[in-house]
Amino acid sequence: MGKKVLVVDDDPDVRLFNTTVVEESGHTPIEAANGEEALQMIRSEAPDLVILDVLMPRQSGIRLYRQLKTDASMKDIKVMVLSGINKKSFLKSQQALAEFGGGDVPEPELYLEKPVEADVLATAIKKAIG
Amino acid sequence: MPTGNLTMIKKILFVTKFEELGFDAIKSLLSLRESGLEHIVFMYVIEREKVAMRRGVGYQKDEAVRLKEAANIRFIDWAERLFELGMEVGVYIQVGGMASEVAKAARKEEADLVVIGRSGKSALEQFYSGSTVTELIRRLPVPTLVYKPVPENPFAFGKPFQRPLLATDWSAASRKAVDYLISMKPLIEEVRVVHVIDENAIEGDSAMGAQKARKDAKAKMEEICGRFEAAGIDARSHVYVGTPAEGLEKAARECLATMVALGSSSKNRWVERWIGSVPQEIAENSAYPTLLIPPDRE
Repeated sequence: MGKKVLVVDDDPDVRLFNTTVVEESGHTPIEAANGEEALQMIRSEAPDLVILDVLMPRQSGIRLYRQLKTDASMKDIKVMVLSGINKKSFLKSQQALAEFGGGDVPEPELYLEKPVEADVLATAIKKAIG
Repeated sequence: MPTGNLTMIKKILFVTKFEELGFDAIKSLLSLRESGLEHIVFMYVIEREKVAMRRGVGYQKDEAVRLKEAANIRFIDWAERLFELGMEVGVYIQVGGMASEVAKAARKEEADLVVIGRSGKSALEQFYSGSTVTELIRRLPVPTLVYKPVPENPFAFGKPFQRPLLATDWSAASRKAVDYLISMKPLIEEVRVVHVIDENAIEGDSAMGAQKARKDAKAKMEEICGRFEAAGIDARSHVYVGTPAEGLEKAARECLATMVALGSSSKNRWVERWIGSVPQEIAENSAYPTLLIPPDRE
């Protein structure tokens, strides 16, 4: 039986692409358009994997990732970052927030820089949740 | 926008067409971290006319995609730099009308300040027309900072709130601007309060008439300066004679102002005086950033 995958991206075209790959991988996609919406869905739907964009309106993936990884009830949910923002900047931002008193968070399970081909995304999903 | 309390500018909506506002403008805005800035939202509006339906061509989707991706590449670069500083960053790239899309995003994001660029030196270089600025002010419930990068002006991209020049005409809108600047105290080193007397309004043809107008204005401005000083902000007043735009420009230059601040109202004569003409003149002629402070919405 497939697992539940939350696709978070403000671009509807990207969400469509990602959810299609998730479905073709045998899993059930759900969608959110920004960090705030995603947090609500994570709490209500408890997905097995979050495919997370970074640069979005309302709340970025950087803040959402930090919220997930510092919350005992959500920290074990796997996160694949899929963004135009490079991994080095993502990690530096987490370091900067840690220095402001936010505490350290682990690196994401997977980090892919946009754009990705469907087969690369499918392989990454398989690696994360089978 | 509280009065009597400190105002926190936590979130800025930064609207750019790239030609006029770049990362140097953003860097200058980082001085607002002292007043709590933690979130910058970038916005690029692809104006509908650029990609609109045309006979024989239809909706120019390819052009919209090209503009969108070009903007996205710039925003990603800027966002990486801000994320690394621990800032929160967001982005909007929309097709539509400038004023309506900006107002929509400002409301959705609950921005505390909207920053837009303004023209170069000629009308042809005018990126935001006077009517767009007017429409924005009418729609936005929060202050708008209109930036104009001029390389020869060392203060254009300095700390905008460091030495504001407050233009006053004693109206309710002006009083609102005083309240707002007082609430920005942590960012302000000194305020210069300026009133420009219209030379045609000086009564009589004697030196007495002119001096009486100056004395009356000075007395009123000293009251305003007193309010700033009571709040712990150094303030000085100046009277100029001439047209408002020329007087303010001269005053800003002589006072080494970092921006010109004006109260604005969408309902009274202030519209005609400030919104209808003076900001347009400043946009075309002044080297200084202009902060337009709206009245409290009913």
